[in-house]
Amino acid sequence: MKSLLRILALLLFAQVVMAQEVNDGNELLNRPAERTYDIILDSGYLKVGVYEDFPPYSYQVDGEPRGIDIELGRRIAEEMGVEFKVHWIIPDENLGDDLRNNVWKGHYLAKQRLADVMLRVPYDKTYAYMQDSTGEYINEQVVLFGPYQQETWQIAYNPEKLDAVETVAVFQYNRIGVEIDTLPDFYLTSAFGGRMREQVRHYTNVADAFEAMRKGEVSAVMGMRSEIDHELAKSENAMFEAAGNGFSGIGKQVWDVGMAIKHTHRQLGYALEAIIDRLVKTGEMNELMASQKLRYSVPGYYREFLDEQSIARAEGDL
Amino acid sequence: MRTNKFGIRIAASALAMAVSYGAHAVTDEDIINDHKTPEDIVSYGMGTQGQRYSILEDLNTNNVQYLQPAWAFSFGSEKMRGQESQPLIKDGVMYVTASYSRIYAVDARTGEEIWQYDARLPDGIMPCCDVVNRGAAIYGDKVIFGTLDAKLVALNKDTGKPMWIKKVADYQAGYAITAAPMVIKGKVITGVSGGEFGIVGKVEAYDANTGDLVWTRPTVEGHMGYVYKDGKKIENGISGGKAGVTWPGEMWKNGGAATWLGGTYDPDTDSLFFGTGNPAPWNSHLRPGDNLFSSSRLAIDPDDGSIKWHFQTTPNDGWDYDGVNELISFNYEENGKTVKAAATADRNGFFYVLNRENGDFIRGFPFVDKITWAEGLDPKTGRPIYTEGGRPGNPADMEGGKGEMVLAQPAFLGGKNWMPMAFSQQTGLFYVPSNEWSMDIWNEPVSYKKGAAFLGAGFTIKPANDDYIGVLRAMDPKTGEEVWRYENTAPLWGGVMTTAGGLVFTGTPEGHLKAFDAKTGEELYRFNTGSGVVGTPITWTMDGEQYVSVASGWGGAVPLWGGEVAKVVKDFNQGGMVWTFKLPKDRVASN
Repeated sequence: MKSLLRILALLLFAQVVMAQEVNDGNELLNRPAERTYDIILDSGYLKVGVYEDFPPYSYQVDGEPRGIDIELGRRIAEEMGVEFKVHWIIPDENLGDDLRNNVWKGHYLAKQRLADVMLRVPYDKTYAYMQDSTGEYINEQVVLFGPYQQETWQIAYNPEKLDAVETVAVFQYNRIGVEIDTLPDFYLTSAFGGRMREQVRHYTNVADAFEAMRKGEVSAVMGMRSEIDHELAKSENAMFEAAGNGFSGIGKQVWDVGMAIKHTHRQLGYALEAIIDRLVKTGEMNELMASQKLRYSVPGYYREFLDEQSIARAEGDL
Repeated sequence: MRTNKFGIRIAASALAMAVSYGAHAVTDEDIINDHKTPEDIVSYGMGTQGQRYSILEDLNTNNVQYLQPAWAFSFGSEKMRGQESQPLIKDGVMYVTASYSRIYAVDARTGEEIWQYDARLPDGIMPCCDVVNRGAAIYGDKVIFGTLDAKLVALNKDTGKPMWIKKVADYQAGYAITAAPMVIKGKVITGVSGGEFGIVGKVEAYDANTGDLVWTRPTVEGHMGYVYKDGKKIENGISGGKAGVTWPGEMWKNGGAATWLGGTYDPDTDSLFFGTGNPAPWNSHLRPGDNLFSSSRLAIDPDDGSIKWHFQTTPNDGWDYDGVNELISFNYEENGKTVKAAATADRNGFFYVLNRENGDFIRGFPFVDKITWAEGLDPKTGRPIYTEGGRPGNPADMEGGKGEMVLAQPAFLGGKNWMPMAFSQQTGLFYVPSNEWSMDIWNEPVSYKKGAAFLGAGFTIKPANDDYIGVLRAMDPKTGEEVWRYENTAPLWGGVMTTAGGLVFTGTPEGHLKAFDAKTGEELYRFNTGSGVVGTPITWTMDGEQYVSVASGWGGAVPLWGGEVAKVVKDFNQGGMVWTFKLPKDRVASN
């Protein structure tokens, strides 16, 4: 019954989503509109691509878009002097698929539907310049730019079950919940010769894993730091705590998150980059995060050239 | 033409309506005897055993050059992609599905449309496995097919009006249906397609008249099966007895094993034969164990969904070798005895002959030129003998680097993919549409998913030879001998049919419908349909003439993959037609 309600709720949301989204593609040619910077300004709106149902980044409450990426999208649109429009993204198997479906080509079932800019795109030079077996640049159709946040991994645990999480070794003996098909899932089922494998429980998302922790099915949950912070800020999770352990063996401990546009729309990219740069340096980005009760780390990109004082300002420590 | 609220377009053709109103209902007997009644085709497989063998001999090796187009029919709209359907024929009407969950009733004599039904797909649907549809089932006054949003739709076969629509699984959870359902003993039997992770495969039976669920059978160890009686859901045993025997931890809960290609049915043993897809997650190092019933063939009781036996082709699969390829029932004589056998050509490159009464392994042999991942099969059990170092590495083991690259042959698209082979009762040979390709697999040094760092594997498909990828092979199931082969530049992706006229039909991505001599492999006929053929041909007789039909429209999985193979196929144009040919009466005598 509960799942039925969820489906009904999703159906209701779907209607609202349709009301918000714009499809400005060319129906006759079945291709997306070529929305350059000037056309965006003329049209009076910016279509911002964000993942659907992905708290605390982008999600809906009573049909209203919410989350840190939504707030950032609104702020960008405001600074450009245009209206914010949401473009919901259903995640595919990997980032490359999402970029193809939403930034440069369009999904083959919805070829006219593209975002002007996509948020929550990892900013990583190695990724951006990856080549395929024939030497072609895999991501040559997009520009990755404008890192606005640094993300990392985090564990929350139930202090009634665990004294502390000094290392992940405790999960050889205690159950831990993860979102299925994520790095925490792979990490915990394979690290240290698979010694934690038997204790891993899989859930559809981090919120479901927290629900399982409240029921006592698991003693801890691993996810992205913002996801964990968001759950810990909820009153029903007040008894849980954030762990301070490291994640030895994970190749990517931290990564920058930025934006993506189609490579032919660089002028839009420069405009957005200037806006983001100001939001990060003035500490406004930190305030956005803090308003959602989320910790903020300045992207590694800025750490390479900002002095300590500037970083402290950006992170709200000044 | 008009569109009503169900999204059906009805073309009012007085002649066509007259044809279908005179039609008879399709019975269980009609379906079981389909292979003996060449005036109609009422099952996917031209018979429930899936042999795709027609007893018709009017069209034969001597006169096939006179086969001529009778009509062609366009599926219309801009949805020109991946026509993998096998048409059905009943009382002078063709029922044919098209990509994007569409179905058409067409006058089989003239090619005029009688009705069309377009399933209304939800906005934002992301089917895992392209937009193809492989065909329909027909029963009573209904024609039934599956949709990309994982529903079964039963339409009145004369009007195209929906009679019932049932949700088989949740498309938002990653499920879809692309295979043709079948009707056995009044029940519609279907499997499900699914994405890479988080789903559990199942086979289900629905009452053909009402659409009510009759039984459900999960294809992963540890999940409970159910039968439904008088509105009650009754437990009918856990698949494999209990959870966690061949899976670590609770990974069986999301084990994959999607039944995405449908099944066959053998009346002799009263068994449904379904194949299952690869286990999840993709990285085999995370799930030590056999991971039943992934990459397997299952014999299932059609009355209650119980599993009678299983045979696993790739235990602990690490190469994406789905075990879904069709298991075809056939008999052969050995030492004066009739052996009730069944055969399948697996994605993993081995051809298996099984005892269809109990699933015992009889023999197995490679049907492709080279297999790297296994040295062979255990002669007693048929279990693969793995090659040392042939398994892709564990992405979780790597530290920054690209990891060791492993070359595996066949590629994950398989020595043979979904496209059905055929068995000739005349020659005793299987005609196997196969491909010679390999893949490099490595651990991605950097990978992201949904805004987060991720561990991914990279892979690329490479042709094994410079001048061809596809090979149509005639294989002797008793000896493993390749009797003849036909090499094709592009990968073969269409089904095969064979006839008592000594012919083997298949299509090529280059666009040709081709006919070969079943004994020698000599190419006897070709016709350019204008787009790649990835459908499965049929033949039937009507008004004393023999007809052949095939859907044309390039697409399916091959063009979705890049690398070296893309160079071979990138210039093929998509399409959406069904072509029908016939041998004129006066040519029959010419043999």
